[in-house]
Amino acid sequence: MNLQEKAVSIRKRIITMNSKAGAGHTGADLSETDILTALYFNVLNITPDRWNDPERDRFILSKGHGVGGYYCTLAEAGFIDESLLETYLQANSFCPGHPVRQKTKGVEVNTGGLGHGLPIACGLALAAKKSGRTYRTFCLCGDGELQEGSNWEAAMAASQFRLDNLILIIDRNKLQLADRTEKIMNLEPLDDKLTAFGFQTYEADGNDPEAMAALLNGLKPGGERPYAVIAKTTKGKGVSFIEDNPVWHHRVPKGDEIMKAIEELEQR
Amino acid sequence: MKDSRDAMIASFISAVENGVELMVVVSDSTSTSKIQPFAERFPERIVNVGIAEQNLVGMAAGLALGGYVVATANASPFLVNRSAEQVRNDVAYTDTNVKMMGLNPGFAYGSLGPTHHSLEDISMMRSLGGVKIYTPIDPEGTAEAVTHVLKSEGPAYIRIDSGLFQNIRRPDGVLRVTAPVRLSEGNDVTILGMGTSSHAVKEAAEILSRAGVHADAWGIPSIRPLRNEELLESIGNTGKVMSVEAHSVHGGLGSLVSEWIADKGIRARLVRLGVPEGLFAPASPRPAIEAAFNLDTDGIVKKVHEFLGASY
Repeated sequence: MNLQEKAVSIRKRIITMNSKAGAGHTGADLSETDILTALYFNVLNITPDRWNDPERDRFILSKGHGVGGYYCTLAEAGFIDESLLETYLQANSFCPGHPVRQKTKGVEVNTGGLGHGLPIACGLALAAKKSGRTYRTFCLCGDGELQEGSNWEAAMAASQFRLDNLILIIDRNKLQLADRTEKIMNLEPLDDKLTAFGFQTYEADGNDPEAMAALLNGLKPGGERPYAVIAKTTKGKGVSFIEDNPVWHHRVPKGDEIMKAIEELEQR
Repeated sequence: MKDSRDAMIASFISAVENGVELMVVVSDSTSTSKIQPFAERFPERIVNVGIAEQNLVGMAAGLALGGYVVATANASPFLVNRSAEQVRNDVAYTDTNVKMMGLNPGFAYGSLGPTHHSLEDISMMRSLGGVKIYTPIDPEGTAEAVTHVLKSEGPAYIRIDSGLFQNIRRPDGVLRVTAPVRLSEGNDVTILGMGTSSHAVKEAAEILSRAGVHADAWGIPSIRPLRNEELLESIGNTGKVMSVEAHSVHGGLGSLVSEWIADKGIRARLVRLGVPEGLFAPASPRPAIEAAFNLDTDGIVKKVHEFLGASY
């Protein structure tokens, strides 16, 4: 399977899993799928059998509500058994509603409150610098999440400590829970803001896993500046009636919608 | 008379000398933590994140996940209140190896006022899963607690007073991190002092003794875990217990004692000295605040006489 095919497979898992669970953040899960596909199948040096390797790349899903897409990616990559996806959101599941490292193999940090991932990622990146390790730290944030001030505390630190082994990826779908990000609290000019805080900033098509992989693989330590990638995405990507619609932040497909979504994904 | 923060720093230095991969994270103020001797010795082991407490705790968690034993060292009010969610999610819930030094707690900042007082730290930490909580009573106990947590796994909070205190001599000469320290023996009333409040409790017990009131007085150096068997026995014996803490009466030592009494069905009355319901402490010098809430020696003596004279 190429990366596009992997992404389709992960999206089908998301539709099936969320429908069965009867809840989930479908829009966010589908938005980030191509970014996770690029990371787990082409970029990160992590595999299930070297999971405890101190030299493994670190990935933090700061937008913890995108956990559905994360679990489906981890299942696709062999970190967790796919049967666990059927237990999503159930009592005592190994796939709870936000990532829990004590529960799910592959999860590094317990996220859910927004604005937590980037400070932790800075700590991990600084630990690598201090201890002479070569791993890279990747942090995936939602765009609305950048309204949390803690991100900008961390952004200053990333620059101050010259964390060129840190890569911030922003899932820029321009939607947050209630409405369009620019209507609730404007983020633009995002590129300029990130650059002003000291990042080497890139923009990419966040729904093209090949393009994402090519870009991320090129972001190597050496420039003494942290990296930020504004990944332009469509929330709910891949299913026409879910795409770019705030209603689908929390919704999951029901009834006929399930087959319709799967069919659309198979046709793409 | 010594400052417990100096003891903390000496323990940091000693830990690194003994092979602990320690990283100390501070936010701007290096004088709050008196970190200079450590910074001069091990400049590569100190991270200053600036005035950014959320990032202080988040980065501490990340450094811990990257393999370090991490100590944060900043003023308790800003740690506990400003970065409450980071403490809960990134340290307690994620279970990272972060040791939080809550510096200058209670009314240590005196006249700087309620923005700088820390009356909720124990209450907040107690309500979190997985965080061990220490309240050393003197510089020696601080050194012992810091050394202990740096050698143990998992999240911990240590309440470290910036006041100047003597070391309280342990009756058996043995330092203990999680066991109460007996300050005086008696059968009339049990008095428990949290952390450095133990010093006023000890003096009060001596004054009371001269007046014929014999208090079973204890210094409490740890909240969780705490070996409380002797305390329960004492409370059962005297039937009267007083808690003394530079903290809100909600969620600190007084609340803990009330829970023991209720949970175990002990027949005892409890008087909680601390900052009463619904109040901030005033912006006044520390001794004035302690006097206002009967947390100084005279206040404790007065309150014990009232307690024993009261009929219920």
